[in-house]
Amino acid sequence: MREEELSYKGIHGIPVILEPGNAARVDRSSWRLVRPVYNKDKCTMCKICYTYCPDSAIAWTKEGPVINLTSCKGCMICVEECPTNAMTQEKESS
Amino acid sequence: MQPIKNIKDIPEFDLLTGGSSVCAGCGPSMGLKLALKVLGPKTIIINSAGCMTLLPLFPNTPLKVSWIHNAIENAATTAAGARHGLDALGIKDMNVVVYAGDGATYDIGFASLSATAIKNERVIYICYNNQAYGNTGFQCTTATPYGSDTKTTPRGKENPIGNTTIHKDMLKLMGVHRVYCATASLAYPVDFLNKINKAKERDGFSYIELLGTCATGWNFDPRYTIKISRLAVRCGMWPLYEIDDRKLSLNKEFKELKPVDEYLQLQGRYKQLPPDGVIKLQSLVNEHWAELNEFNEKRYV
Repeated sequence: MREEELSYKGIHGIPVILEPGNAARVDRSSWRLVRPVYNKDKCTMCKICYTYCPDSAIAWTKEGPVINLTSCKGCMICVEECPTNAMTQEKESS
Repeated sequence: MQPIKNIKDIPEFDLLTGGSSVCAGCGPSMGLKLALKVLGPKTIIINSAGCMTLLPLFPNTPLKVSWIHNAIENAATTAAGARHGLDALGIKDMNVVVYAGDGATYDIGFASLSATAIKNERVIYICYNNQAYGNTGFQCTTATPYGSDTKTTPRGKENPIGNTTIHKDMLKLMGVHRVYCATASLAYPVDFLNKINKAKERDGFSYIELLGTCATGWNFDPRYTIKISRLAVRCGMWPLYEIDDRKLSLNKEFKELKPVDEYLQLQGRYKQLPPDGVIKLQSLVNEHWAELNEFNEKRYV
């Protein structure tokens, strides 16, 4: 993220972050070697992947989990813990 | 808040977003994310120097709640001060939570923790125990288990065991302060969140200790974070129990424990631990497990 895009300002010379949770926009995709892929057919909506994601990269919607590949660091906990193999791993292309 | 019955009941909001600088598959970060689901947005977190200090790095913060970062010695007393400040302002519905590591809890910050506990301040103290000083390169603390390889207790020709000391029994120590204390594991999130819920409802000090699996320090593939947390409970290395008003109750009871070897094999820090070290570790685990079963539903400390 470039400095102009950041939302903070100085109050009496002390910089203050104005937006709570602004780290969600930081790109961590370069950290991972493999990425998780979601297959809807095998999913039983057990919410295990959503509960165990340490980086909140999986959001829960009515249709099931949605993976945010900006935050995902590729720890593969969701792939290992999924009881029905609805989460599989894929190598990053570049 | 009603007790949580299964994993599907866990609230669907995140007060800790992604994009922080902690390692991939970080156990303590997952623990904080889960804890905030029960604690809610009206929470002040007090953190002493440690791994979780890496979460808010200027100018980014993954947190949506208040966060006070303080020196490693005085997280508990800062929390007591925050509670007194809130009382002076007449604010009753805020949770004051300490999230500190095992170095800050067992060793450096123990004096302030003990003082806050004995005064029974309304504070929830969560210790994420990764069994070493993880942030500075995995040096030995008094929470490091027997036989673990750390930076200050390296395994070598003269010392094949690694860490030769036996870790401190912190729950017993906190139990004598007559406060609510419990252990928790990431592999049992419903049990962990119900313990936090119980602590939140209490008008006094509560101490919860979470096994914060550390993929970098313990030297394993981050995908096994939950598997290792589960094995720690099943092998008796990390039994789940609580002490309420000096009475012990076991939360997860097993007829037979799995051999500790299964837990040790997955981790690089126990690699090349000689067989007599494994036998000693197994006897320590069996001794602790027998003690817990003997005092189950009885006065413990």
